[in-house]
Amino acid sequence: MKPKTIFIGILISAVCSALSLHAQPAFEGPPPSREVLQSADQRNAAYAARINEVLDWRIGLAKPETLDMATIAMLLVRNQDIELCNQRVIEMMKEPGTGPFWMFPSTIVAFAGRDKLSPEAQASIRNAWRTERQLRGDTENHWVMYHTSMYLMSELYPNEPAVTWSDGKSSEENLAETRGWLIDWMNLTTTIGQGEYDPTHYIGEYAIPMAMLATWAKDPEMKQRGHIMLDWIFAELANQTLEGVLRGPNSRTDDTSVTERWNSLASFFSWILFGNTPPTAGYGGWGNYFAVLAPNYQVPEVIYRIATDRQQDIYQHDHARTRRIWRYSDEHMPPIYKTQYLRHDYAVGSHQGRLSDPIQGHVWDVTWREDDPRGKFPTMFSVHAYSSGKALQMFFATYPEPMPKGIYREGKPSYDAPDKVVGTSPYEKVFQDHDTVVALYDIPAGTRFEQVNGFFSKDLKHVTEDKSGWIFAQGGNAYLAYRSLTPYHWEPHLNYRQIPSDAGYAFERDDTGSKILVSNSLKNGTIVQAASADEFADFAAFQVAIKALPLKFKLEPLPTVSMTTLRGKEITFTYGEAPVVDGVAVDYSKWKLFEGTHLNAELGSRKLTITHGRLQRVLDFNTLTIADTVTPGK
Amino acid sequence: MSKLKYTHLLLGLLLGVTAALAAPQYDLIICANVNKGYVIGSKIVTTNGLFRLTETREWKHFGANDTTLTGAAVDPRDPSVIYTSALNGLWIPLKGSPTGRMANSWDLTEGRDVALDPNAPDTIYLAHTEGVAVSTDKGLTLEHRNHGLPARGRFAETIEVDRTKAGRVFVGCEKGVFLTDDAGLNWRQVLPTEAQVNDIQQSALDADFWMAVTDEQGAWASHDGGLTWMQVTGLPSEHALYNIAFDPTNAKRIVVGSWTYGVQTSEDGGKTWTTRNEGLPENPRAWRVGVNPNTGRLYASVFQETLYHSDDFGRTWQMDTLADGSLINRFVSVPRINP
Repeated sequence: MKPKTIFIGILISAVCSALSLHAQPAFEGPPPSREVLQSADQRNAAYAARINEVLDWRIGLAKPETLDMATIAMLLVRNQDIELCNQRVIEMMKEPGTGPFWMFPSTIVAFAGRDKLSPEAQASIRNAWRTERQLRGDTENHWVMYHTSMYLMSELYPNEPAVTWSDGKSSEENLAETRGWLIDWMNLTTTIGQGEYDPTHYIGEYAIPMAMLATWAKDPEMKQRGHIMLDWIFAELANQTLEGVLRGPNSRTDDTSVTERWNSLASFFSWILFGNTPPTAGYGGWGNYFAVLAPNYQVPEVIYRIATDRQQDIYQHDHARTRRIWRYSDEHMPPIYKTQYLRHDYAVGSHQGRLSDPIQGHVWDVTWREDDPRGKFPTMFSVHAYSSGKALQMFFATYPEPMPKGIYREGKPSYDAPDKVVGTSPYEKVFQDHDTVVALYDIPAGTRFEQVNGFFSKDLKHVTEDKSGWIFAQGGNAYLAYRSLTPYHWEPHLNYRQIPSDAGYAFERDDTGSKILVSNSLKNGTIVQAASADEFADFAAFQVAIKALPLKFKLEPLPTVSMTTLRGKEITFTYGEAPVVDGVAVDYSKWKLFEGTHLNAELGSRKLTITHGRLQRVLDFNTLTIADTVTPGK
Repeated sequence: MSKLKYTHLLLGLLLGVTAALAAPQYDLIICANVNKGYVIGSKIVTTNGLFRLTETREWKHFGANDTTLTGAAVDPRDPSVIYTSALNGLWIPLKGSPTGRMANSWDLTEGRDVALDPNAPDTIYLAHTEGVAVSTDKGLTLEHRNHGLPARGRFAETIEVDRTKAGRVFVGCEKGVFLTDDAGLNWRQVLPTEAQVNDIQQSALDADFWMAVTDEQGAWASHDGGLTWMQVTGLPSEHALYNIAFDPTNAKRIVVGSWTYGVQTSEDGGKTWTTRNEGLPENPRAWRVGVNPNTGRLYASVFQETLYHSDDFGRTWQMDTLADGSLINRFVSVPRINP
């Protein structure tokens, strides 16, 4: 089905759902059936219905005096209440915002309304882009939003002089400038990987600008770049979700999503694109803007099937990069080596452990499938609770003192808390082979928090502290074995609940019922193994199997583990050294950009091959082409 | 209040009145934010950017509303021409534009400081996250000039032009203080450090006297025009020192600001130092200190509080008129042009 057909589907769906304007059916109702839709018509009709559900809900909430940009954009695409939109746009443009989070919504309204808004309303938007200085921000997603918005607005208003733009550059200068950044970013991403890889929330800040480019860019090259980039982003999403739920590792997550894995914007994208998990409340907030653009994008079948049609385990070794490091490091964007192993009942993911994003990074976890993931904490992992002003200075232009505490008021409350479960540490090294993870810690004495925190979910069943040192548990239909290499004690897991504040964010903490395994040894380690319950006669048989596996470890001079995994691999891993599997040292320098079951790309190639069964799509930024092939059936 | 404090207060008042009667020789400009609670993306309406101290000692905002200004440099030939460093890079004036022009391209971000060469006033220097950029045509074009700076370790927090010689400039980086004699074409290290250099200043009354402060290696002084440096004794060094200000009205008076140590002053040219935090909020968090070049009034901008001033060089403090929640990133003295 082409975009035009999707629009017709939306029109029909709009009539059907007119009676339930305030409902969020997919959010409030039972989990989706997860039936794999076999025909393109079925998939596109379902996609159109989901888009329409978002628009119905948001427009149903609208009040004339508080109409916001997302609702205005929706009304414009539905050609509804245009005079009201005119008035509200003019009013809002009297106090324009400053930065990318204002720029992209105003750009969406400008384009959605370019043939519908009154000349006065359009002029008010244009004037706001003249008078209010816009910040580029300090983070890659800020720059994507900034440059995309500036690019499109300069295309919308070509040949205009420098004084008419708030950055003091002419339309043509802006086009060259923003195009330059966007292409550079695409080159980086498609040669050495994403900087903000697999984010639980920030996927919207990439997907929405790329959808804007794909929808509205006049330049066919930039339009095509936007389209290919969308496929690239969504292929990664599809490949790293378990029934729509994104798990670790994540370049950036937060205190809620790292445990309640479903509760993230990524779930909105899984829902709207694949229909395989419920959307989050309010359709993810930013998701509303994507819904405006979504009719112009068609989810490729190969990506849809990677997300929904899991006929085999997924095993991937991929390459990404850290957030930009400005100082106190010999490397600017050092590599991240990701391992992903996804099965029907659970998934295991990790990177090698290092400072990546210091505040919101998440290095590894085992996450299991829940039929209804809402409110569940289906995950297990450990972290070193690392907090350092100097480490923040590596990534941000700041002094050492204000930021560790100041982050709290910016909505990232746990950074300087000893019981934190989000963030990366320079003192954590991780190795994963299939569904075994070994995380080793060598924490210098005097480090602000000398503790490793292991997360034990309230949703685990049969948690058993065995005298062998293993802790056994069941999550969903997965059996889990957790081994702390040093003594530990238990603390309650306290989440952060935002409360009203007139000075940035403020929070209160609530006991979630989950627990934190706290181990205070400086030289430390965690081993986790997972298996499907279907692989064993019962839980006891799993425990017997784990305890029978050879395991040796020592902590001095460096933490070292030698073990045989459930899958029969012999692993030796020493902190700071290359892991050895069956006698062969892992050579990260040979890792490709993507290598695995569904996604494959050479490092530096700008070319991604996406496969599922007989389907293949090749995204090629060298030729700016998308090539689909179907292998003939047997 | 003790008798001694009353005496100092009266003395300060007298000095202030005397200074006020004389025609000011300088304008005092600050890069400031009045935006408590603001983070990128929030909807709080704030007033930020450049403020000028008026004759009635009020701070008056002018120019673009920008929450990210880190520095300002003023063309001595025309004080209305002001260059600012900011999150976006370097902003230059643009006739007819309320916002100015972003002089840099996409390959440069986060301007940390800006300086103008008074002996070559078309030349502008920008310190940024990856070194130094220089314009020799008032910001119309800008080029990276990092030859001699380390490939890694050149995060530049501060840049200062030697007012005695065109093209002679110091930049404070992660790996030390670097000097150029040819407008940034070639740099050489004159003070190696293992921690970020946060500020470099030239004494207003002794052109050979320079000071630098760092994150973890305390303060350093040079009395030979920045060629050799000695660590300043009497100032703590475990935690970061943020900035330095020389008092243009008194060659002996120097002040250093620090989050941890608050306001540290010297009244003997840097030989001895005194903590001057009494009267400031607890945990002083001195984000920036400055001195009014006309009156010698000392200022301290306290993080998450507001601006304080002292007319007795830190012995007593009063809350200034700048709004609550203000934060000052830079004090800039601008010589007035005689009619």
